[in-house]
Amino acid sequence: MHSALRSELVFSGMGIVSPIGLGSDAFGAALMRGEHRFGVMQRPGRQTQESAFLGAELPELALPDVPARVLRSCSLSGKAALAALGEAWRAARLEAVDPHRIGLIIGGSNLQQRTLTLTHQKYADRTAFLRPTYAMTFLDSDLCGLCTDQYPIRGFAYTLGGASAAGQLAVIQAADAVASGRVDVAVAMGGLLDLSHWECAGFRAAGAMGSERFAESPQAACRPFDQQRDGFIYGENCAALVVERAATCRQRGLQPKGLLTGTAVAMDGNRYPNPNAHGETRAIGEAMQAAALRPSDVDYINPHGTGSPLGDQTEIQALRACGLEHAALNTTKSLTGHGLTSAGAVEIVATLLQMAASRLHPCRNLESPLDDAVNFVGATARPHKIHHALCLSYGFGGINTALCIQNPLA
Amino acid sequence: MSSDDILKLIAQHTREILPELEDHPFQRSDSLGELGANSLDRSEILMMTLEALDLKVPAVKFHGPKNIGELADAIHAQRVTV
Repeated sequence: MHSALRSELVFSGMGIVSPIGLGSDAFGAALMRGEHRFGVMQRPGRQTQESAFLGAELPELALPDVPARVLRSCSLSGKAALAALGEAWRAARLEAVDPHRIGLIIGGSNLQQRTLTLTHQKYADRTAFLRPTYAMTFLDSDLCGLCTDQYPIRGFAYTLGGASAAGQLAVIQAADAVASGRVDVAVAMGGLLDLSHWECAGFRAAGAMGSERFAESPQAACRPFDQQRDGFIYGENCAALVVERAATCRQRGLQPKGLLTGTAVAMDGNRYPNPNAHGETRAIGEAMQAAALRPSDVDYINPHGTGSPLGDQTEIQALRACGLEHAALNTTKSLTGHGLTSAGAVEIVATLLQMAASRLHPCRNLESPLDDAVNFVGATARPHKIHHALCLSYGFGGINTALCIQNPLA
Repeated sequence: MSSDDILKLIAQHTREILPELEDHPFQRSDSLGELGANSLDRSEILMMTLEALDLKVPAVKFHGPKNIGELADAIHAQRVTV
């Protein structure tokens, strides 16, 4: 299902928290330097006595504008949401927009799993003393309450499930909400999916999460599209993107960061984790059709590229089927880790920053590429003017999303 | 433990929930609502106090008190009963 041409839609602001950088400036600089923070995860609730799951965790988040009474009952997902939203809000000068004309879509479901696990552990044998706030905070929608309590968003706010495509799906829904006139501004967020050791164990058991092969060298574990990859490596990430019409953006004296020219969602008809090159090809083709792009027009791809053995191979098949081998491609997840629900939004932020810098970030650990015909960026950043970018996100349950972004200065 | 000791626990938990009351001199006549605690904050303060006392009594038993002095007395009475 593709949406009609929407070249008037733009990204007017963004915010991000990532293990490699808090805020767009720090994140963009770290991307270009090819930084990472992979290691054995340390956060409470992430490991059992037997486990040593690898991942990339956030540094301490500073939220000086949020009252202490609010922060006290705020999960990591909530703090990350406030940080990303706050940056995007300021960047897009949303204080000048009628609150009733602003909406919020938080991509992701079951976002606060680690917090729930810790609560269940603490009160397992004394449920009589379970804190009353649990009735509110266990819901994903508490993040919507939190964000709209702290920022004047009075149009709508909801969470949107879409597994690892949730972040991009939120952007697509935000675009639809603005295009339909429901709101003037929609903030799309890729929510921080806070995994507990249960989800880590499940992903590992399913063969989705690496890395047994690189257990002793965490820095080498996350290697999308490399022959030695053995699954995704988790990363704590959250990003927010402000979507609106070019006209309202310019009314506030802002230059668009990127033009959102085409989107598509395609379902495989498959409940399971398996990727499907047909579904991916369909999503890519429909997004390009919506943006009126030929394959040769696309000069940058931010792929899903998780490091999954079958997923990466399938993605290459789809890119080849779409005639996109020529487009420069890099692996944001090799630096940030896989944020799952946040990934699609994080990678749009990475794309917009690279578009503005006319420079592509390196790929880490891509020592033996899966396919030499694909135009991978190497181990160092390189200059590249992006005219038309394609961002891809796929998720368990057979969901494929694709989105085209045009450089506003191209 | 006296009612005054329980009052100190209530004040301690109120400060934890509402950090802006860090320097507030708590009195028995203080009302949690007037101090800025919403209904969920009040439930939270009560539950934290019951947990500190290991007192397993349904929260509904404490719906009557108009101020923290009366609440401390009600909790104290339940402790004696239990």
